[in-house]
Amino acid sequence: MADSLNNLLSKYPQNDEGSLIPVLQQTQGLYGYISKEAIEKISSYLRVSRSTIFGVTSFYSQFRFNPPGRNSIKICLGTACHVQGGDFLLNALQLEIGIEPGQTTEDKRFDLTRVACLGCCALAPVMMVNNDIHSRMSVIKIREVLKKYE
Amino acid sequence: MTEVIEKKKIKKISITIDGKSMMVSEGITILEAARKAGIYIPTLCYLDNLPHYGGCRLCMVEIKNSKGYQTACTTPVCQGMEIITKTADLQILRRDILELILSEHTFTCLICKDKNDCSEYMHSTRKVGVTTGCNFCTRNGDCELQDLVEYLELKDVRFPIAYRGLEPVKDNPFYELDYNLCVLCGRCVRICNEERNSGVLAFVQRGNATLVGTAFLESQKDAGCEYCGACVDVCPTGSIAEKMGSWVGCPDNSTITTCVLCPVGCKMNVNSKGNRIINVGPEPGKRTAPLQLCVRGKFVPGDIVHHPDRINKPLLKKENRWVEIAWDDAIRYIARNLEKYKGSQFGMIGSAQDSIENNYILQKFTRKVMKSNNVDLLFSYPGKNLLKKIHEYYNAFPPIGLNKIESADTIFVIGSQAYSSHPIVENRIRKAYKNGKQVVVAHTHNNRTADFSNLFVNFNPGKEYSFLSMLMAYISVVLKKRLPDSVRELLENSNQRKLERIGGFRMEEIEQFARTLVKSRKINIIVGEWILRSPESENSFNLLINISRLLGGLENNRVLFLLDEGNRYGGTLVGIHPDYFAGFARVHNRVDHNKWAGLWNTKLPHQKGLSANEMIKNISNDGIRALFVMGDMPPHKNLADLEFMVQQNMFLSQTSDYANIVLPLCSFTETEGHIIDVERSLKKFTPVIKPPGLARPAWATMQEIAEGMRQDGFGYKRANMILSEIKSVIDLSFSTAEFESKRLMSVNRTEHRKSNKFPVQVIIEPNHFHYMGNLLSALIPDMKAIREESVLFVSEKLLRDLTARDGEKVRLITTFGKKVFKVKIMSGLNGKAAYIKPTWDDLPLFSDGLSPERCVVNAKIEDVD
Ligand code: SF4
Ligand code: SF4
Ligand code: SF4
Ligand code: FES
Ligand code: FES
Repeated sequence: MADSLNNLLSKYPQNDEGSLIPVLQQTQGLYGYISKEAIEKISSYLRVSRSTIFGVTSFYSQFRFNPPGRNSIKICLGTACHVQGGDFLLNALQLEIGIEPGQTTEDKRFDLTRVACLGCCALAPVMMVNNDIHSRMSVIKIREVLKKYE
Repeated sequence: MTEVIEKKKIKKISITIDGKSMMVSEGITILEAARKAGIYIPTLCYLDNLPHYGGCRLCMVEIKNSKGYQTACTTPVCQGMEIITKTADLQILRRDILELILSEHTFTCLICKDKNDCSEYMHSTRKVGVTTGCNFCTRNGDCELQDLVEYLELKDVRFPIAYRGLEPVKDNPFYELDYNLCVLCGRCVRICNEERNSGVLAFVQRGNATLVGTAFLESQKDAGCEYCGACVDVCPTGSIAEKMGSWVGCPDNSTITTCVLCPVGCKMNVNSKGNRIINVGPEPGKRTAPLQLCVRGKFVPGDIVHHPDRINKPLLKKENRWVEIAWDDAIRYIARNLEKYKGSQFGMIGSAQDSIENNYILQKFTRKVMKSNNVDLLFSYPGKNLLKKIHEYYNAFPPIGLNKIESADTIFVIGSQAYSSHPIVENRIRKAYKNGKQVVVAHTHNNRTADFSNLFVNFNPGKEYSFLSMLMAYISVVLKKRLPDSVRELLENSNQRKLERIGGFRMEEIEQFARTLVKSRKINIIVGEWILRSPESENSFNLLINISRLLGGLENNRVLFLLDEGNRYGGTLVGIHPDYFAGFARVHNRVDHNKWAGLWNTKLPHQKGLSANEMIKNISNDGIRALFVMGDMPPHKNLADLEFMVQQNMFLSQTSDYANIVLPLCSFTETEGHIIDVERSLKKFTPVIKPPGLARPAWATMQEIAEGMRQDGFGYKRANMILSEIKSVIDLSFSTAEFESKRLMSVNRTEHRKSNKFPVQVIIEPNHFHYMGNLLSALIPDMKAIREESVLFVSEKLLRDLTARDGEKVRLITTFGKKVFKVKIMSGLNGKAAYIKPTWDDLPLFSDGLSPERCVVNAKIEDVD
């Protein structure tokens, strides 16, 4: 792990705060998430404090701090889905798989993200697993849907 | 040449604010102009002296002929600008913003219609004090939200309450965090990053989950907090609340004085109420430009001054118990006993944090009354002539001011951990780096300053001398200069690999370092304790002067010596040194001797004086038999053999166990005096409160003892008179003098050998965290928590050789003894190096005297079975 991150970093100038976002994006591309160790490395390479990096990383929803699961669940909380009870869906799902948005289940089966609008508002509320859109979702349908993903 | 700051002509322009026309400098902001004219504009996120931010938008003003509203704190004035700061519309707008801010903040204390009458109805008939009413904030009365609510006449908050319901952080050292009160103004984040460059705080998360926090919301300590307290001082609300002085209410007095805990001598404001210090920090309502301090200046004074263990009466040891006695009886008792120990059997140990007045009197008393030259400051430098050399160098080339550190294009920092010893110097180094100056660092390990450097070289602990000689050699080579013989020998006779192995650096590194220095036009050299606290310090001094001379001359480059403690230079200058009278006049020079004998109208001792270290080693029948200790010092076992010992201190300590009598002592907030700071200027500290009980400053005590011994020449009424006496004999304004000839100074060489039996080099951090010899970690629990003293830090590599793991125990063995320590991994240490911050109890492991000879000791680490 360390080597590939070193490789990645060596393409950017040292001590340059400006490269932070691209470096973070590439790091996430490489590992699927931003680990504590990665933040430490980036911090000493770019000389940006770990707190600042964490601040930036936690500001953008594209970054995650946990390794992705085998299946990625996205719950939409955009306006249409929200009105149609997206947050009920989220709550139920959280109870079902026992994690909060941004986390990954212990068995690595699922990770969970909340998003704002998946672009198919007519089908609200929407839940997306990997590349499949599950439309007109309801709390009772959750188990059925999850069964399809191992 | 670069010293001459070009004064750019600043153009004046005319503007009007609220109908008042005025001339202001071009480039300043509307807010600055308004403040100069005494016009109030509400602000929340604004901080003086930091880059403009413009986050809260409460400072919006109207500008004629310009669309919308502009933030006064970020908009520069321009010719003819007409500004209106208060209109009905503006007030509504600002009120709306404040309402939004308050929707996340408890506001019962702010907009309750009974808030003014509250305290009147709060009384209870119970016997204990109870808090009734709705104010649960430590900042009540000194809260900027309260000011804003008043100015904007906010009567209600119409938005639904979005209380965050966060758990307050109570286990943070020195201050508690309750982010429920945070208004996200960003001041703490900006001061921590932009002013202190500590990088601890950041805004984390997004949207309404946004908070001030650290990486992964770890503790501030783990995020590298330096506890400078800058964030506490700027916070407009009660979300960062100092533990000291919370709930006491607003101060009724604020006094400006000087911190004596290190020679930076920071200007500090002490808030007090009655005879109690509330805290050190900005006056109420002045939180946008607080004086910058460090953890010691900010959090220590109140904690030690009002410490529950403080003594306020003389204590006499009777059958191994302390009994309180009257002051006059104590003086009589001491005077009677000291009569018996005149001459070289008497020793006096003063403190380098004490004023020049006190230290002058201590040495005068010792020499004039006790007829002894055994007078010294605690933990004096191993190089006895070092301070004199520095003094002479400074006479010709005065030290650079702190704010001039950045004036060079290169800052060369060697052997320094200014972030803990002289934090405000470190602050300037970091700023220089951030502002694009070149910072080059050489040290025994990769430390925090190295994070603010463009080039870093590691030399092995104790090898600063080798490093400097090699550096000088390479500079000469790069400059094609003839090498001084001593250095040439070093280069020719030794094989390079061996030198590299011993020195812990590679020749290429030194060469690169040399080239970097040679390319610089002007270099400020900052020299820390790893150079000064060594028997080779005088050689290193010569090398540094040589280097400075080679690299473009002494006038051009300046060397700043980071002497430790508030007043080491000042104390030594006024004569508290076995070899020197005030002004570094030699005790053994006939002319000087006669001059001082004449001034003091007495016969003075001829016997050679001992340093503090030597005194302790020489306690015996025919050596030192009586000792006077001002403040505290390590409880050395030899003290048990003293016949008579007096201590004057703020507390009873382990050392007091050896004393016959202990007198109560004033702190620097209870008396007046002067120190000479790192820039060599005279700084005054003033009383903030009255001393407790019978506590007195050193000079007053010595004066009474002298009178008790029927000696004249001590009739001072105030510390002021002592200063006049000092000024009448030595020059405190430091007119310049010639420095030694142009020739390169010669260097002698001693050796610090590595040994096979003790393969590990333990780096010993000189302890700056004491006041008058009293260890701060022993007095203040939070200080203990952040200091991690008495823990053996090792490199990962070193720990691999042991079965003990991180956090477990190991045994450290030196030539002086052995002791078990908790072991912890520290990054930045290379190879066989370890690191420790010893407490007084650990010192016997590193020295048979009072303190280690150098900042490293050879040792062996083994597992505890
Ligand atoms: S105390 Fe100083 S270093 Fe620590 S968080 Fe506050 S400003 Fe930053
Ligand atoms: S903690 Fe205080 S200074 Fe920091 S953002 Fe919150 S209110 Fe502002
Ligand atoms: S830097 Fe020195 S003088 Fe300033 S507050 Fe800290 S200890 Fe006191
Ligand atoms: S709001 Fe959910 S898809 Fe648009
Ligand atoms: S004070 Fe101007 S925007 Fe906050």
